[in-house]
Amino acid sequence: MSIRKKRSFSEMIDEYFQNIDQWVQEFGESLAERPSWNLRDCSLEPLRETVITPTEVLVTVDLPFTSKATVKVKSAGKNTLEISAKMNRVIKLHELGVTHCTGEFQKYHSYMRIPVAVNMDKINVHYNKRLLEIRLPRKQ
Amino acid sequence: MSERVGIIEKVKIPSEATLIFGFPDVGLVGVIAASYLVEELNLAEVAYLESKILPPLVVLHDGLPHSSIRIFGNEKILLTISEVPIPVDAVYPVMDALIEWSKSKNVKMMISLGGIPLQDRQDATELKSFAAASSPEALKLAEDKNVEPLTEGYIVGPQAIMLQSAANTDTPALALLSQCFLNYPDPEAAAEVLKDLAKIADVKVDVTKLLEKGEEIRLRARDVMKRTQEEMGKMKKGQELDIPMYVS
Repeated sequence: MSIRKKRSFSEMIDEYFQNIDQWVQEFGESLAERPSWNLRDCSLEPLRETVITPTEVLVTVDLPFTSKATVKVKSAGKNTLEISAKMNRVIKLHELGVTHCTGEFQKYHSYMRIPVAVNMDKINVHYNKRLLEIRLPRKQ
Repeated sequence: MSERVGIIEKVKIPSEATLIFGFPDVGLVGVIAASYLVEELNLAEVAYLESKILPPLVVLHDGLPHSSIRIFGNEKILLTISEVPIPVDAVYPVMDALIEWSKSKNVKMMISLGGIPLQDRQDATELKSFAAASSPEALKLAEDKNVEPLTEGYIVGPQAIMLQSAANTDTPALALLSQCFLNYPDPEAAAEVLKDLAKIADVKVDVTKLLEKGEEIRLRARDVMKRTQEEMGKMKKGQELDIPMYVS
């Protein structure tokens, strides 16, 4: 029998929002207007682009104020990528021209669903000029 | 529904100025370049657009509302800049109004600043820039200043309307286009078009600060880029990458 650690209410709320956030990022982008930032986990959602060719899926992600060492790309379920990168410096919300609330950002974080079947084991990642390039061979 | 687009003048508009356009488009090249010109040349707002076909939106600066499409200027130049993407249904009425207005001000030339997407842009060490023109004379002007002509292809969006209208009315017009990212803000490309603008229209600015602030611009421009991507999709902007089919 496994012993389940008792979670606090705030942890449960956080987990709930995390799950919602992941679902919206993966599937619901066109369903709702939402900000590109998340003050709960101090993250910004990066700009990204997906190109599908007959042999591979190419994902690029714009990551200003990052360095290669902090970039993490991992599988988050079938055909879903989790991308994160720590920023070189903390960016305050007011630096971005938002004055109606306070907060700061320390990282980029994003889930993205790959729209075709790919081989996640053969992921190839390249980083140049603060731009991340992810190549995933398609399953034949 | 009325498609009236009004241009409200705040001060007396100079005659025979050069009218420059910087609208959100590929790589946000035009709007980044235009914003930098406003800042570096300390241009004042001289006019703004108002229309019910534009989104119900104002831009707040220092707590006060401003139109999303404004015209800045001095004695020599008039610079039209939009802080948000122009909805595809509003592109024709907005450009028609601006071009009509420019005629009433005896504008001597129109120049649109923009980009042309480059595949694998991140690997490019040097960015090339091109000019498309409304007339052979305007094209020669660009060539004489060592700006390569864009001889074949498609142009989509406000600059397409500018070039065609200018061609119809014999107004000299140029679209200056730097190779750029399609979907990411590209301050380096904006610096390139400003270098070309300096050669052609005697509007000189030092682009050092623009390049130094490149990362900050990329960060701040994310949301405008995202909205612009949506409008570019509706406008079939990808057609600029199509292989042209010519019927001679």
